[in-house]
Amino acid sequence: MSLHFADYLVIFIYFVFVVAVGFIIKKKITSSNDFLNSNRSIPLWITSLAFISANLGAQEVLGMVASGAKYGIMTVHFYWVGAIFAMIFLGVFMMPFYYGSKARSVPEYLFLRFDEKTRALNALTFAAMTIFSSGISLYALAKLLEVILHWNFDLCIWIAAGIVMAYTLLGGLTSAVYNEVLQFFLIVLGLSPLVIVALQDAGGWDTIKTNLEPQLTHAWKYMGSPDSNPMGIQFMSLIFGLGFVMSFGYWCTDFLVVQRAMIAKNMSAAQRTPIIAAIPKMFMPLIVVLPGVIAIALTKSAMDAGDYRIPSDAAGGYDYTMTLPSLIAYYYPSGLLGVGITALIASFMSGMAGNVTAFNSVFTYDIYQAYFFKNKSDKHYLNVGKLVTLFGILFSIGTAYIAASFNNINDFLQLVFSFVNGPLFATFLLGMFWKRTTGHGAFWGLVAGTLAAAVTHGLTIAEGKGGWISPIYPVSSGMGQAFIVASFSWIANFLTTIAVSLFTKPKSDEELRGLVYSLTEKVYGTEKRWYLRPAPLSIILLVITILLNIIFF
Amino acid sequence: MSEKLNQLSFVIGVFFILVALVLLIGYATTTSLKHSINLYTGLGMMVFGLIMIRLKA
Repeated sequence: MSLHFADYLVIFIYFVFVVAVGFIIKKKITSSNDFLNSNRSIPLWITSLAFISANLGAQEVLGMVASGAKYGIMTVHFYWVGAIFAMIFLGVFMMPFYYGSKARSVPEYLFLRFDEKTRALNALTFAAMTIFSSGISLYALAKLLEVILHWNFDLCIWIAAGIVMAYTLLGGLTSAVYNEVLQFFLIVLGLSPLVIVALQDAGGWDTIKTNLEPQLTHAWKYMGSPDSNPMGIQFMSLIFGLGFVMSFGYWCTDFLVVQRAMIAKNMSAAQRTPIIAAIPKMFMPLIVVLPGVIAIALTKSAMDAGDYRIPSDAAGGYDYTMTLPSLIAYYYPSGLLGVGITALIASFMSGMAGNVTAFNSVFTYDIYQAYFFKNKSDKHYLNVGKLVTLFGILFSIGTAYIAASFNNINDFLQLVFSFVNGPLFATFLLGMFWKRTTGHGAFWGLVAGTLAAAVTHGLTIAEGKGGWISPIYPVSSGMGQAFIVASFSWIANFLTTIAVSLFTKPKSDEELRGLVYSLTEKVYGTEKRWYLRPAPLSIILLVITILLNIIFF
Repeated sequence: MSEKLNQLSFVIGVFFILVALVLLIGYATTTSLKHSINLYTGLGMMVFGLIMIRLKA
């Protein structure tokens, strides 16, 4: 793949715009609250698009296309079983606590609801994870550009990091959020033509269904037994592991995405942010799953040497990760090729900036201010926030080089991330809906959940991974193994939290007012028009989601 | 103008109009860009960009 002047021009225009957004926002940054929290002033349409864009990092985009090619249409479960239900739950039930408590971050909510040690555990693990995730985004971007365009690896790392640093340092969270919206449109408009031409080339959806095994074109039909579908899991494992534990754990508790709703103008907008975001999210499989299914259909029906094929890996199998870049290289001519490459770059930079801005909020508020310098001036925390952004980017660069030295660090990080995030939703569910839950219960529940995840991973094996204690339970896919690990970690956290809470002293009702469901005043119908209220909107979305599941059953 | 630049929809609109111009001018003047997919995508992005700059904040 080689680029021409027009392609470079599109990339250049994009770089100029993202940095320009930073300069435009810079004038509005006068306090630490502006820099780290956008002063809770962002319009609803921007918070909603930023909410899903924060999850549109390249690992997700490349990963979902790869999963579409590997597992077929079953990959839509990440959207129509996982994301939509969790986003609606966040908007209707959890945002009133996050937003109403005036917490500036998810760890700070844990402090208000539980205690200092639960906040510290969550803040430290989250800060470490975001830096590693940001670094791995950077590494993956540089590696991809090196492989497909033969660009210099080091130069890619420093230029990409420099641009993200410029706009996050200039405009803080607002700048990152504004660029996420630009990146969202770029990804959608940049990849849509690919879906259309590739689908046309494959002969349309009916031809794809004829050419592929039925397991790859049905979402539910073959989920009765783990042996009859490519993911190797049964439908109950999917519903509990992915639909409940993993999705709710990510969408409802990960500060990276929740932060986008917490900066909305008011409670109504904060509640509607994830619900409005669920509308485009529902149709994202058209952009990120369908290309993978088309790619495997084209590969299996390829007759001539010039026909499209998914690239092979060193072992002779399919290199699924390269599915999207190879589709772009095959179908996009000069000009649009620049748009496609820019869309990929945008998704990597969006993922990196999202992690860095979440990191600087958590580090400044939940580590620096909470444990080191409590009562400094606002100017001091603004400067610290900027300094933390700078160091966050530098640490990310360091992590990118560490990732380059270890070929399995991404797998390792994803594993640790699932260990930490998997059980977290149990802590929030109990904390928000059972006032008897105590700080000791929450802390030891998190510890037990993480340990249970590690033990489950050590006892299961999938695609050569896991089984380090004893490989007594084989699973046919890594994804299926992740669902099982998440399920056990959640159950261990849930039970441990309840058990420890029953033997320890809870906070008084007065201390918990506004932090738990039973002690929070319910506010209904603040919006006059029904279609602006969270509940009716959610019901419509749930009906559409169920219909989509039935159509692709 | 400076007020317009503070509107995200305006900034996004200008970005897509510029990208559309690269595709459309390239299609009209350069052989290597003369593909119908560039033309249609350019037109689509132009329409999207114009809608975005017309939106109120």
